Amino acid sequence: EDLRVDGRGCEDYRCIEVETDVVSNTSGSARVKLGHTDILVGVKAEMGTPKLENPNEGYLEFFVDCSANATPEFEGRGGEELGTEIVNTLYRIFSTENTIDVKSLCINPREHCWILYVDVLLLECGGNLFDAISIAVKAALFNTRIPKVRVLEDEEGSKEIELSDDPYDCIRLNVDNVPCIITLSKIGCRHVVDATLQEEACSLASLLLAVTNRGFLTCMKKMGNGSLDPESIFEMMETGKRVGKTLHTSLQKILDKEESLGTTRQKVGFLG
Amino acid sequence: MPLDPRRVPGPEESQPPLLYAAPGQAAAADEAEAEAGALRPLLARAGLLSQAEGSAYVELAGGTKVLCAVRGPREAAEGRGRLLCDFRRAPFCARGARPRPGPAAAARERELGLALQEALAPAVRLARYPRARLELTALLLQDGGAGLAAALCAAALALADAGVEMFDLVVGCGLCRAPGPAAAWRLQPSAAQERAAAARLTVALLPGLGQVAGLLGSGQGGPPESWAQAVRLGVEGCQRLYPLLRRSLLRAAERRAGLPRGLPPPERDPPDRPPPPEGPARPPPPDRP
Repeated sequence: EDLRVDGRGCEDYRCIEVETDVVSNTSGSARVKLGHTDILVGVKAEMGTPKLENPNEGYLEFFVDCSANATPEFEGRGGEELGTEIVNTLYRIFSTENTIDVKSLCINPREHCWILYVDVLLLECGGNLFDAISIAVKAALFNTRIPKVRVLEDEEGSKEIELSDDPYDCIRLNVDNVPCIITLSKIGCRHVVDATLQEEACSLASLLLAVTNRGFLTCMKKMGNGSLDPESIFEMMETGKRVGKTLHTSLQKILDKEESLGTTRQKVGFLG
Repeated sequence: MPLDPRRVPGPEESQPPLLYAAPGQAAAADEAEAEAGALRPLLARAGLLSQAEGSAYVELAGGTKVLCAVRGPREAAEGRGRLLCDFRRAPFCARGARPRPGPAAAARERELGLALQEALAPAVRLARYPRARLELTALLLQDGGAGLAAALCAAALALADAGVEMFDLVVGCGLCRAPGPAAAWRLQPSAAQERAAAARLTVALLPGLGQVAGLLGSGQGGPPESWAQAVRLGVEGCQRLYPLLRRSLLRAAERRAGLPRGLPPPERDPPDRPPPPEGPARPPPPDRP
């Protein structure tokens, strides 16, 4: 009948709050609140040497910290397994070509490039972590401002790094192709989007899809201990594409609105 | 570390020479252009290790070799039965550089171990093993493409060989799609095709029940219709591999029971060629550019 415990339909998300630029010491940051799930992502851009296999590109490194505030299971080393799973999924998504233009992160081929360290903090865990994390990472990368840098070489061969004087002169990343993760959980014979903790406990298996804004899938993963019928998988993929496209349009609208307000924006912060 | 004058210090960092090869040189010799729906011959043998309760070895023509061992059920402290999977790659398994032991490599292996466990969990009747722990180790000796798929087949065979109660065997199949807007999905790619692919997918199926037990894919696969076609192709491939795995289990059981007198034991199981797909004629393979 398309009715869940909290009154939502099968394809409805809980109320999502996105705010960027919450932490001032980072190159970019974002905070996403999805029901009871709270994620904070900070991006720091640092200069380093490019990898040997890709000398003309920069790269991204992901780290996830499941803090003990999120749920009591994360105390000590309990959250490590979940953290590794999230990191691997993020690497899998961003290793696809054209997700982020890594060539723009290169300063001098083979010598200098930008490395973006993306740190994800789980502040509160209320179900549907992957979706919230992907939205937060996309918003944080949209918000990232990388200063423009030139590396000059003297006659003796010593390198000098020149940072531009204007603090607003920076490179921005194009996040149009960054996908969002949609997790569809199979409960009984229907599937639901954005499961709460109780719904996750009832579901036998879920399918994790990474959907771009044009409706293309870049990553597909089955999670959970149950098995899925091939027909359900096809239905879930169609639902994921539909839901993903609407999610992307609303997220882009919010990010553009925040961008256009600029410094006049009222910052809600952590107490709002 | 202080310099030891008696030893010749080697370079601190080492790189493989292939990194500096021009792109054309590194290409392998011409492989026979197989049709998109053809499966590579598969050799599967169960019951080879003496120290493990169950074991299996799967080899795909083209070089993928996986060895899998199951130990258990062992006594565990927790109340529920658990299946712990460990996926290891031999350091020399891939064609590129020897991977440096580090967090990145360990994380990737843990991801594949988790994928193995999530694919095998629907098949194993863990409820029959309370307070027990089943430990499964998969070792990829050589990566010639579709490594995870071969590991899934080997793991299921090893669990069956160990006598663990299962609902059905799990069969794995790998697919990949070359870059390009209209490229088709191919079953069981070779290592070179997998490296050059734009999207990769591994499908694990419970053939008797017709349920998909595991799915792991990434890349620019295109719209959901393209991925759906890939899943269908993978399911069909798994169904064709199923009789080969069952036959290898029967052979292992015969070997264990001792063959009747007069029949010499087969020296080496010949690799089984999977049956060609029946159905309407397939379109001819695409022309090479």
